[in-house]
Amino acid sequence: MKENINPNEPNIQEIADLLTDIAAELMTAGAHTMRIIQNISRMAGKFGYFIELSVFQQSIMMTITHKEDSSNRITLIKKARSLVLNFTIVSDLSALSWDTFDKDLTFDEIKIRYHEVVTQKRMSRWLVLILVGCANAAFCALFKGDLYAIGLVFGATIVGFYLRQEMIKKHINHLIVFTTSAFVASLIAGLGYVFHLGSTPEVALASSVLYLIPGVPLINSILDIIEGHVLTGIARLVNATSLIVCIAIGLFSSMLILGLEKL
Amino acid sequence: MISTEFLCLILIDGLLAAIASIGFAVISNPSRKAIAVSALLAAFGHGLRFALIKSGLEIWLATFVAASCIGLLSIWFARIIHCPAEVFSFPSLLPMIPGLFAYRTILGLIKFLQCTDATKAQGFMMDFFRNGLTTTFILFALVVGVSLPVLFFPKLSFSVTRKY
Repeated sequence: MKENINPNEPNIQEIADLLTDIAAELMTAGAHTMRIIQNISRMAGKFGYFIELSVFQQSIMMTITHKEDSSNRITLIKKARSLVLNFTIVSDLSALSWDTFDKDLTFDEIKIRYHEVVTQKRMSRWLVLILVGCANAAFCALFKGDLYAIGLVFGATIVGFYLRQEMIKKHINHLIVFTTSAFVASLIAGLGYVFHLGSTPEVALASSVLYLIPGVPLINSILDIIEGHVLTGIARLVNATSLIVCIAIGLFSSMLILGLEKL
Repeated sequence: MISTEFLCLILIDGLLAAIASIGFAVISNPSRKAIAVSALLAAFGHGLRFALIKSGLEIWLATFVAASCIGLLSIWFARIIHCPAEVFSFPSLLPMIPGLFAYRTILGLIKFLQCTDATKAQGFMMDFFRNGLTTTFILFALVVGVSLPVLFFPKLSFSVTRKY
């Protein structure tokens, strides 16, 4: 590999490291494949390189080649962490890639901004908990549930989501997390059946588990498939579907415990 | 002619959808501006779907129309607040997820498995397929509807975070 002539210019390894880091971070935060490829190519183009990128659920493979000197190239594989949705990161890194392109940021500036983006704090988990509870209660109201059902769903969601947050913190397998939270939430919402609260216990039971629906992976998978990244799309689809099956199993179990002949 | 009562129902529907969308948006940690936009789009989309269903459209067709409108509007909003469209278009779709149909699908399946009487079992199988297919069609209508605008205007959708 040729040495860089200008010592201030970053060498190909540093650039490749940063770009794969950004790609992996975008994947973890829940961007779809096309956006990852566009962002990374744009940044690489600015440094005078072009890239070939393969994005998979678990790893990113990238070959970066110098535009004028094709012997100056390396290939990297970077492992992506499992999915932790964070759209602030997606939009900030997208903005960073355009700024690189438009504002002539230097390599070090980009690196500093990248670290700022990935280390910024998330919204408080308690606020998220309350908002998710309200959201699911509103969902129940959309399905024409009465006040009893709305109250039950609010309580069930708060407990279920709290459980999910705790289990994710302890790094328990995500399929088990989804099954357990769905089971607990639907069991609480199912109390409406047991004590004959209100006239729409069915709606309470049905909407109690909806906060778990993996909407973003589902939509991302279809977007990927439509845009031609079929393999990644199918991986995401299988992931989302298995989560939905887990939700169904959780719901199923609590329905069996509550006694189906009443439903 | 549209009555005030009908308008009021649409408004309530939109408001509930907005609350639901805010809650589902915060799970994926977007910026505050994006949360506000997603609430607005959810209210508009769900209200539109409600009005379309009441005026006699099939639910999946109404969902498709509403999702496409959300997709189009989200590209427009994305240009205003410099934030990728999917950040707020995804959460604003979530209130349209067919939860009740999905629940009835599972219920139908369990009842079918437990039923020993052949005639009754046929009825449960019908329930299972009718609700299951409705769920699937609505989900596809949602996803395809929202991604169509991205396919039609790819340049536009990928350059929204550009500020210059």
